[in-house]
Amino acid sequence: MNRRRFMTLTGSTLAMLGGGQAFAQQPQGRLRIDPTEFRPIPIAITNFVPGSPADGDVGNGVTQVITNNLKRSGLFAPVDQAAFIERISNIDVAPQFENWKTLNAQALVTGRMTRQPDGRLKAEFRLWDVVTGQQLAGQQYFTSPEYWRRIAHIISDQIYEKLTGEKGYFDSRVVFVDESGPKERRVKRLAMMDQDGANVRYLTRGADLVLTPRFSPNSQEITYMEFGQGDPKVYLFNIETGQREIVGNFPGMTFAPRFSPDGQRVIMSLQQGGNSNLFVMDLRSRSTTRLTDTPAIDTSPSYSPDGTRICFESDRGGRSQIYVMAAGGGAAQRISFSKDDTNATYSTPVWSPRGDYIAFTRQGGGQFSIGVMKPDGSGERLLTSGFHNEGPTFSPNGRVLMFFRDPGGSGGPSLFSVDISGRNELKVPTPGFASDPAWSPLLSSTQGG
Amino acid sequence: MKVKVDKTLVASIALHVLVLGWGLVTFSSRAFVPAEESLPIDIISTDQLAQMMSGQKTGDKKEPKPKVEKIAEAKPEEDAVGKVTEKKELIKTNSTPEPPPKPVEKPVEKKPEPPKPVAEAKPKEEPKPPEKKPDPAKEDPIAELQKKLETKKPPPKPEQKVAAVQPQQQPKPKERSFDPAQIQRDLDKRAATRHELAGSTLNASASLGSTIGTAANNVATWRGAFQGAVKRCFTPTYNGQDADQYEADIDIPMKIDGSLASEPVVVAVRGPSRSIAQAVAESAKRAIVQCQVYSFLPKQQYESWKLIPMTFGLKDML
Repeated sequence: MNRRRFMTLTGSTLAMLGGGQAFAQQPQGRLRIDPTEFRPIPIAITNFVPGSPADGDVGNGVTQVITNNLKRSGLFAPVDQAAFIERISNIDVAPQFENWKTLNAQALVTGRMTRQPDGRLKAEFRLWDVVTGQQLAGQQYFTSPEYWRRIAHIISDQIYEKLTGEKGYFDSRVVFVDESGPKERRVKRLAMMDQDGANVRYLTRGADLVLTPRFSPNSQEITYMEFGQGDPKVYLFNIETGQREIVGNFPGMTFAPRFSPDGQRVIMSLQQGGNSNLFVMDLRSRSTTRLTDTPAIDTSPSYSPDGTRICFESDRGGRSQIYVMAAGGGAAQRISFSKDDTNATYSTPVWSPRGDYIAFTRQGGGQFSIGVMKPDGSGERLLTSGFHNEGPTFSPNGRVLMFFRDPGGSGGPSLFSVDISGRNELKVPTPGFASDPAWSPLLSSTQGG
Repeated sequence: MKVKVDKTLVASIALHVLVLGWGLVTFSSRAFVPAEESLPIDIISTDQLAQMMSGQKTGDKKEPKPKVEKIAEAKPEEDAVGKVTEKKELIKTNSTPEPPPKPVEKPVEKKPEPPKPVAEAKPKEEPKPPEKKPDPAKEDPIAELQKKLETKKPPPKPEQKVAAVQPQQQPKPKERSFDPAQIQRDLDKRAATRHELAGSTLNASASLGSTIGTAANNVATWRGAFQGAVKRCFTPTYNGQDADQYEADIDIPMKIDGSLASEPVVVAVRGPSRSIAQAVAESAKRAIVQCQVYSFLPKQQYESWKLIPMTFGLKDML
């Protein structure tokens, strides 16, 4: 490759020395392509071949979940199966790529589901580059039959990563506040589901009001605020055991908790009189450190992915705005400045897992908007606006935001997702009304799978 | 109980039923017309077109021909540089002829006043007397009057310095051979002109080397078309804040029929994340292969696109 380039460069140089005419006919450097518009990758996903007739349903189910995941990401355009020319019956034989090229598919997914003698399920898949005819990925997994959806999510992540270069986000969960009952006597329960809305589990019974649930970095624990008999307190909930405990025992109200990236600390707000300040508690030693000390309301803290900085909202300047400071406290720098509406307020900042953006809720001009800005406050971009949009949370790869939207009236809130570019806004299916979502990290990376 | 039926209501219902029925039959019978696929085009400005169609200064002067601008009998032209104009009659302007009469009128009024200037003028007019010497009659009243008229010019001298300069510039011999046409020629400050070059057939251009223009071998034409064709199939997905830092350099070996001679070669990839940069390169390779054959590439210029070096970037993705 280097030799070829050297020869090209040498040829150009000689042409330049050789005379004006020769130089004029040489291509002027490299042709450059910078696409301005986004287009999804056309992909064909065939039904997973059943190892035995009994595995047919689970094979089709896996195909359906993968197709749904990739389609909802907005980055892929699955080809309609009705248009398929070739029927894949053996995944160990290379497909006839011409049959898939005619469908304009750039990639092809084939797979097989086989129940093993020990009762486990074996899932195999291959990802083909239709254009070059090369296999891009090929994996097999073993799991209990009830976890077939998770296998489908893991395969989706593999395909996503191979074709985009970014980590996927399909093998992840979302914890949220499930709302039911009439508006004046709304029952709020802590609930958890897969990122696509499947496998909903309720974590609390709804006797007490719960707010602001957040996942721990290992996805095994959830911290949230609950209004019990006395002051609202921050709790820690273990998903596996179902046990919960109070985080610290402070005289006032504690709220807006969030884990540090290493999972060793919880940062939160503590009410003191009419003010609230930020505190961080070490979960091992249970020691508490004050981070801010101002006659204002400092709340909604969120760590940067490297754990060195914190973004939070504060009304120390008169109105609620977003500030950034070192994780150990100190001087805070305001980063939110509205250009068009000086009365606009910014709240619920969340730092992206890839560190490039801070998402926020903006209130101004009679609307609530969800937006992103760079950590220095530049590049502000509103992704969606409306009567009431609030509480953004990032997908594990920092590519998608989930938030809740309340249309007002007698209805209730629902969950929505949107790409950080503002494209592909979708409603996330939930059993009832839902608010305050929090996305977990990628399960396969936290569990070594 | 008697039910009163409104006739207009019945008529209205009947009409509505008729219209709806007609609509159902008419609209449902329309065949589905598939949308025509649009053809990709590149829009260029008039300047770009002019640039493409113009000749090349450095082009080879093939088949040198004598320049012909007008179909007529060939006539040698000495000056081929001057501007070509048709023969026109000279037009007198108001500004030039006016000044001469003025000095004639003024001296008449000032005749008696300046006696000395006459004496000063005499030495300057010395060449004149010899000419008049042959004339026998000094007493000729016309000659005297003419002499007087000539001597009347000096008086304005002391009044204006500018006027004093003029007589020095005017050589006296000119005054003697009074030729109005020569004055007009002297006053004509227009650029030199010549007649059109005549010949049996018109031959428009001789100034530039090529009469063909650069349209056929314009590199920008096929380059733009090639970029557009590959761009149609290029589907990168990354849109992070650092998207502008991702680039992939790919060399594309081409056959003369516009298909790929071999697989595109990834020369270099750049970007903070190697996996994302690699995905950009793979996506670019897929685009190049998928969008072939590039049959629009000009075969006569195959040497210039035998190997097409390209860079794929994401700077405009957000």
